[in-house]
Amino acid sequence: VRSRRPPRLAGWLLRRLLPRGRDADAIRGDLIEDFGRHGSAAWFYRDALSTIVQGHRYRRMLTFESLVQDLRYALRGMRKAPGFALVVIVTLALGVGASTAIFSIVNGVLLRPLPLPEPDRLAWANETNGRGQTVSVSWMNYLDWRARAHSFETLAASRSAPFALTGMGQARRLTGRIVTANFFKALGVQPALGRDFSEADERGASAPVAIVSHEFWQRQLNGDPAALGRALVLDARAYVIVGVMPAGFRYLRPYDVFASAAPLVDAEWMRDRGNHQGFVAVGRLRRGVTVEAAAQELRAISSDLTREYPATNAGIGAVVEPLAARLVSQVRQTLLVLLGAVGLLLLIACANVAGLLVARGAARRHELAVRVALGGRRSRIAAQVLVESLLLSFSGGTLGVIVAAVLLRALIAAAPPDTPRLDEVGLDRAALVFAALAATACGLLFGLLPAMQASSVSGQQLVIRTRAAGSSASSHRLRRTLLAAETALALVLLAGAGLMVRTLGRLTDVDLGFTPDHVLTVAVSIPGTEPSDAELVAQTDAMLSRARAIPGVTAAAAGFSIPIDGSNWNSVFWVADKPVPATHENLPSAAMIPVTPDYFTVLGTQLTKGRRFTDADRAGAARVAIVNSALAARMWPGEDPIGKRIAQGWPERHQAWSEVVGVVADMKFEGIAEAAGMALYMPFGQQPAASYLLVARTIVDPRSIVPAIQQAAGGVNPDMPLARILTMDAILGESLARQRLARLVLSVFAAVALTLASIGLFGFVSHTVTERRHELGVRMALGATRARIVRQVLAGGVGTAVAGAGVGVALSLALTRSLADLLYGVEPFDAATFASVTAILLGVAVLACAIPAWRASRTGITGALRAD
Amino acid sequence: MPPAYLGEFEQQVLLVAVRLGDEAFGPAIAQELERRAGRRVSRGALYTTFDRLEDKRLLRWRTVPGTEARDGLPRRLYAPTAAGLAALRAAREVVRNLWDGLDSRLVTGPRLKKEPGR
Repeated sequence: VRSRRPPRLAGWLLRRLLPRGRDADAIRGDLIEDFGRHGSAAWFYRDALSTIVQGHRYRRMLTFESLVQDLRYALRGMRKAPGFALVVIVTLALGVGASTAIFSIVNGVLLRPLPLPEPDRLAWANETNGRGQTVSVSWMNYLDWRARAHSFETLAASRSAPFALTGMGQARRLTGRIVTANFFKALGVQPALGRDFSEADERGASAPVAIVSHEFWQRQLNGDPAALGRALVLDARAYVIVGVMPAGFRYLRPYDVFASAAPLVDAEWMRDRGNHQGFVAVGRLRRGVTVEAAAQELRAISSDLTREYPATNAGIGAVVEPLAARLVSQVRQTLLVLLGAVGLLLLIACANVAGLLVARGAARRHELAVRVALGGRRSRIAAQVLVESLLLSFSGGTLGVIVAAVLLRALIAAAPPDTPRLDEVGLDRAALVFAALAATACGLLFGLLPAMQASSVSGQQLVIRTRAAGSSASSHRLRRTLLAAETALALVLLAGAGLMVRTLGRLTDVDLGFTPDHVLTVAVSIPGTEPSDAELVAQTDAMLSRARAIPGVTAAAAGFSIPIDGSNWNSVFWVADKPVPATHENLPSAAMIPVTPDYFTVLGTQLTKGRRFTDADRAGAARVAIVNSALAARMWPGEDPIGKRIAQGWPERHQAWSEVVGVVADMKFEGIAEAAGMALYMPFGQQPAASYLLVARTIVDPRSIVPAIQQAAGGVNPDMPLARILTMDAILGESLARQRLARLVLSVFAAVALTLASIGLFGFVSHTVTERRHELGVRMALGATRARIVRQVLAGGVGTAVAGAGVGVALSLALTRSLADLLYGVEPFDAATFASVTAILLGVAVLACAIPAWRASRTGITGALRAD
Repeated sequence: MPPAYLGEFEQQVLLVAVRLGDEAFGPAIAQELERRAGRRVSRGALYTTFDRLEDKRLLRWRTVPGTEARDGLPRRLYAPTAAGLAALRAAREVVRNLWDGLDSRLVTGPRLKKEPGR
């Protein structure tokens, strides 16, 4: 009987640290028993520790050794069948690469939180009009929101302002925002240098101040701290620089300058409650207040305002959304569709590789069976197969990262240029983690099936059954299922691609109402605080005559808006010979576009009735207007609009009538896919603007005249900045970028999917043929015709493809609905598209199966029988 | 398949296990080794050797209930497998072959001729 207990610490160590699973209790018991005999604490410590340490060392060596063995085995396998390894690795690289690239974009644009503190509490608010459209919040209404709403800690407003910067070298257009004093407080960001706006800065009497971005400070002000206190001349008004934002700060997109609202707040047009001046409210919600609650409160305030100011606020409501969601709402659907597509592609790649591995596993059954019979442990064999697939997926994943980097660059280039936060997208850590996870998941997914199969090999049975009567029925079934799934997924991608191809076809067939080729467009801003109308007209005329003198230019004109780009001024109007609607909500609204006489000539827009503007239509002459067909049809159905009278603005503030002198064809102002709205053109001479778009028709490449245009502008006024110099074709292209991107990605994915599926089918049928060689030989010997053999072999593969296509059509019907937002002129369930993509898929499938089937029929009887 | 190769300590452990038969528990094996081989046995080395022999399928064990002297913890009773016995026989054969005809020489040891010039 033992008198003493072994040292407690050593006992505890043993309990905690002995390698598990090796009957640790028995070893501990032995040591305790021995201690009873030896009785020395030193002995117990030494041997307990040596048992722990050596046990661990031994086990680690075992694991490591077997891993090294498995890896070596897998590498040897890859060297023995390099084609197989290559196909698997390339397949995976495509799947992992494509999904990583798309994930990077989705992550950068959609998932990553806004780079502002507590972004979840930031909400965006605007007003809605009687037709349910979102409109900018009227300044006076915003002030009432700010005073009455309790949901927000801070409710700010801002509007974009393309400032003309002068007095610092060549005049330039800056991206800027006019903001309320609490703007940065709402966002939760403070200037890194200088001070934030104060409440005083928002008063009309205050001196205008500005806060510049870090990037602007570096670039334009040489990063000089003394820049604080200096003046920036923006739109001919001096703004004192009071602060510099931290590096990398951006609100929706990078801005050069944020200016105080002081110069605006007392202007009459700002005080007009019915005027929606382009402001957008952004607020920081109080802790615990939901966006929905805030929306409810603003809606309630809006109804109060409607009661208080029925003349201006009838039908005006409020809309509140999380800022992040609002920011990306345009691209969200596109990106989610692409992410879905990429998920399908990854699944197809996995299914394909799994199919290949199952086939190889089947071929290796004999080898595995022998190993089981010789005492190889099943778990070791399964581990080996798994290590092999993980090695393949790791190689595929590594190559995939390279594919992703290349693809990402291409995708960013193809993405719509106004995609927010695109500059934040990159192949970052999250993307690499995603790639690693995708590759590992693939490896496990496609490695598990063959591993399970391999470990279920029953030894004896298979060794005895030597003839490759081949792979078991179960592995055939498995491959067939995988192939059918692959075909189904490929069909979904094909259907998506088909719908996008048709959409773009429809979009490029749309009658735009103008001729976009050989037209250059330039945004021009005439500097000066408040230039007189005469001055504006004179400067515009000077600019146009210089532009016309440029060799290669056939015509030049100015307009307040240009097609596709969107109208810059929408207003209500009414006509003299029709009753004025009782409520404001029912007043018609049209795009108001002052244009110079050659505007329609440059754009190639057809005049359907009456005359164009002439130089005689100037200030002081009779007021005239041209309407588009849509307006004419809506206001004067069946009547001749020429000679009718029309006026812009609210009826109670009656302005002068203009006489309609012409009707022009409808132009797509708000984008190709949008219906052409009503448009009212007026002579630029009678309604000049300080900023306009110059359009020039050329007989040379329009981009080649850009330097000459810049020179011309400098000649008219060295302080006159030009911006957005684009060809009309480029503007048109940009407007289709979303659809083009979807078409590009879906088409590439569909092509890859189709290729993978047909490789899978081809492999499957060839494999079956090899396995059935003997049987086919016997059949032929017994008189089966070649055609019969081909038919028989084909049936297996094609049957699988047909089943897959059936499932794919059903799946597509469920999934293409998510494309609806991107489609134009095509239904998500377009029968023609579905029929043609199914036909393409089955055609390719038949071809993929026919080659091995044909080869099978060519094998001579003797050759086939000799195969054994 | 040729019989597995046995390291010296593996061989000793297996031999002791054969000798002890139904009494081949861990502490007994260690004691017997220390008594017969005249060397101290590190328990770490011993248990690793058990593991290695088991991995090579030369030794197996079953677990039997423990005694009071070991806090009631279970005991492992070791026994060589058929392959283990075969390996022992093969090892003995190798040693025998190597020993063959050397007994007389070990008494005096081999003589080296003196080389001229040294």
